[in-house]
Amino acid sequence: MLKRLLEYVGFEPGRFQARWISGSEGAKFASTIKDMTEKIKSLGPNKKMRDDIL
Amino acid sequence: MMDVIQQLREQAKKLLEEKKVDLVIGFGQGTELARTTPVFIDSPEGVSKLTWGPFCANNLAKYLTDYKNAPGNIAVVVKGCDSRSINRLLDDNQISRDKVVIIGVPCSGQLEWQKVAAEIKPGASLKETADNGDSFSVKTDAGDYKFDKKDYLLHRCLVCENPNPVVSDLTIGKEQPVKNYEDRFAEVQALEQMSTEEKNAYWDKQFSRCLRCYACRNVCSVCTCQICVFDQMLPMWVSKRTNLSENTAFHLTRAFHVAGRCVDCGECDRVCPMDIPLRKLNQKIHKDLGDLFESPTPGTKPGLASPLGEFSPGDPEEFM
Repeated sequence: MLKRLLEYVGFEPGRFQARWISGSEGAKFASTIKDMTEKIKSLGPNKKMRDDIL
Repeated sequence: MMDVIQQLREQAKKLLEEKKVDLVIGFGQGTELARTTPVFIDSPEGVSKLTWGPFCANNLAKYLTDYKNAPGNIAVVVKGCDSRSINRLLDDNQISRDKVVIIGVPCSGQLEWQKVAAEIKPGASLKETADNGDSFSVKTDAGDYKFDKKDYLLHRCLVCENPNPVVSDLTIGKEQPVKNYEDRFAEVQALEQMSTEEKNAYWDKQFSRCLRCYACRNVCSVCTCQICVFDQMLPMWVSKRTNLSENTAFHLTRAFHVAGRCVDCGECDRVCPMDIPLRKLNQKIHKDLGDLFESPTPGTKPGLASPLGEFSPGDPEEFM
């Protein structure tokens, strides 16, 4: 719901991600974070809701 | 409309005389022709203040929360949309059912007062209003006017889901036909179709105008927290600075805070002094709740659980 709302007001799809990962799923955690970092790096710096944009 | 007003006054008088209620909350004629103001009547003599017509946009259910701990019973006049608020307040344990007498009035739409006021001669006083089906006629001492519903109704009334109250103790006036609007979410869908940049530009333009007057919060019938997250200083969850970033944070928090409870009465949108289309945020959430959880508009039935407040094994799991 929140993800859809954020994308509705102009956040890039993929900027906000949520995953359910159990404490025993180390490999899933590692690969999720890797994918997420790549995705966000490709999107570039966030332009919305920043302290320096008034 | 005159017979509805007459019946409304008679019933309110009876309730007060028989001491069934100590207070009646209803609509009274405002200082301008096309506006009504909430009236709080505590004696049978006061019922002549009550009125009804196409200028009763306020959702009076919100006032019940002010009398939550007051002794005595309260009667409140509600339209269909407002009655959803009553169901929601009952489900949230904000009011107790035995303390409230709900006077339901089926409603055929409310006019946008600014548009009407622009047409009518200034200083004219209202004589009578009548519903002609697809228009309202407004008789004044400076002539008669006719307002087509499709042009002059409040936006929310054009896609009204409940013209008749969904909960009431007594109903005044004749039942209105219920229409099914397929394109209820047309405006939301149009926004969804836009590109990320376009959406961003659209909402930046809206949010940057926000004055942070909190009228949208104050009028909201499901905003019932004793201490509001936006008022708190320690910890300060949302900064009080009025700039685009903080305004965006405020509006997203507000919209998400009422997600699953918002009854789509459209009051936040109506009261916004800067005309920020807040209902487009709330309606987006309604649309998603419908798509993901097949949940109806909150408040349409009593005892309807908030889809975000309970777990069901069939819930979509996009985050797994």
